[in-house]
Amino acid sequence: MKVKSLKIKENGELLIGGLICSIFLLWSLGWYFYSTFINGSIQSPFVPKMNMKYELVLPLQENFLLGTDVYGRSLFEVISSGVSYSILISLTVSFFASVIGLIIGYFSISGNNSIKRLFDFLTNFVFILPSLLLAILLMSFSGQSLFGLILVLVLTGWPSYAKLARGETKRIMGLCYLEGAKSMGASRLRIMLKVIFPEILPVFVVNIILGLSGVIISEATLGFLGLGGSEYSWGVLLSMGKDVLLEGPHIVIISSLVLGLLIIGLNFFGDGLRDFLDPKS
Amino acid sequence: MINQKKIMNLTFTCFLTLVAIFFLVRLAPGDPVERLLGPEATYEEIQNYRNDLGLNETVFLQFKTFFLKTLQGDLGKSLFKRKDVMVLLSKHFKPTLTIAFFTIFISSFFGVILGLISAIYKSKKPDHLLRLFSILALSFPIFSLGPILVYIFSVKLQAFPVSEWGDGGFKYLFLPVLTLVIPLSSVLSRFTRNKFLEEMKAPWIEVLKAKGLSSLSINLRVLKVCSPSLLNVIAIQLSVILAGTMITETIFDIPGMGSLLLEGIQNRDYPVVQGVILYSTLIYMIIYFLTDYIAQKCDPRISD
Repeated sequence: MKVKSLKIKENGELLIGGLICSIFLLWSLGWYFYSTFINGSIQSPFVPKMNMKYELVLPLQENFLLGTDVYGRSLFEVISSGVSYSILISLTVSFFASVIGLIIGYFSISGNNSIKRLFDFLTNFVFILPSLLLAILLMSFSGQSLFGLILVLVLTGWPSYAKLARGETKRIMGLCYLEGAKSMGASRLRIMLKVIFPEILPVFVVNIILGLSGVIISEATLGFLGLGGSEYSWGVLLSMGKDVLLEGPHIVIISSLVLGLLIIGLNFFGDGLRDFLDPKS
Repeated sequence: MINQKKIMNLTFTCFLTLVAIFFLVRLAPGDPVERLLGPEATYEEIQNYRNDLGLNETVFLQFKTFFLKTLQGDLGKSLFKRKDVMVLLSKHFKPTLTIAFFTIFISSFFGVILGLISAIYKSKKPDHLLRLFSILALSFPIFSLGPILVYIFSVKLQAFPVSEWGDGGFKYLFLPVLTLVIPLSSVLSRFTRNKFLEEMKAPWIEVLKAKGLSSLSINLRVLKVCSPSLLNVIAIQLSVILAGTMITETIFDIPGMGSLLLEGIQNRDYPVVQGVILYSTLIYMIIYFLTDYIAQKCDPRISD
């Protein structure tokens, strides 16, 4: 354990990334509690109020920490909603996409022949399609709901996990201790759950963390094009900000900085975790 | 070697794309005819119009006509603009192509050069600086980078026009291309650096050194070996560029494929949406398979 804690201290990326990520997580959790328990209820959570009197107030004026947006809502409240919204979306999407990817990737190596071919083709087919184009198409025709958004992002996101799971399963299939497990009479289910999945897990977790920023960006892109699932999406905020660049540049600048910081944090955390888990580097 | 299996795969993928696009567009809620004729239109008017457009036939018949016409290069007429989709596409294609073309070349050039500098000065000041820059560049998505660049260059410095296409000259092209080049060249430089350093560890480098080659020619040879994987990465990035140009077009109000697509989506203009998606997907796939082929030519070790 001593060796590991030393390694954490040396790993600056992991520390900085972890710090940034925990701040954002605390922020979104804090906002969630504030909006559902303190200043609202579960049925009607608190939402930033529109007030045309305070349209496009610059930061630090008239009691607004970060100023206001086009509708006179406090930018801090809007960004807070955006943070909790995009963290929630990215976690949900990554969870489902990685589970689907894991199962399909695993069976495209160890299933029977027709399943192998089907899953392989499916993975490559969806992987090769330009994913954002597909998302735009699906989103514009599925009606813009939260459920539709999650579904679309999962549908376009799973193939990269499937490819990863496939490669890792193939690698582990060639290892000696799998043969050991087989010769001891372990069932296929046991091999899958107790031998292969735990071995894949570290690589998978790193890729999920690195993939979170991708999901956040995809979601915001859809929001930017007017195809998002919520009005608090970062994309909606930025698309609003770009139209009032002359009068209120603070919207674009502040929301870009917050979004950029979250993505830097996630990437640092993922990279650092990979170095930490991989003894070779 | 182009093998038949790959071509079969390409054809089949294209066919599936066609099917997927056709049915997705039709499954969507909202009726284009009602939208086109407005709320005052009578039932008969709507039905007549639908008959004219062939929308009252069964879906499979519609698909058959759609499929046969597409094979002949006829993508139908826009429901709203009353123009051939092909004409619209070729009109809107030029801005998108111009931006994508300059983006790919400029960012490949800078990406590879910066990556090489980073690799040669590994763990020294230039390397740290470039890596920091690429991390920063990758943390700002296109739609937040674009407005920031507009704010800096157009609002503060007043060096370039805000959101205009004009005649598509340099001053209109600069900001959209810069918005796309910054993230793309960062991805490429990061990849070049890592790939280059990985190849430098290979045993055959020792042979070159033993032969007494200068470090410049060794570097060039290593670069040649890296080129297939570089090409591959550029091909993968194409889908990012494709989506990226659409977003840049929205930011900078450029009359390209992206604006055409979004307009089509808003109006439920089936033929236009089909046309744009089909066109870009086909181009993307053909380039994808072409790079696959070139990569195999460059490095015969890669084969299926």
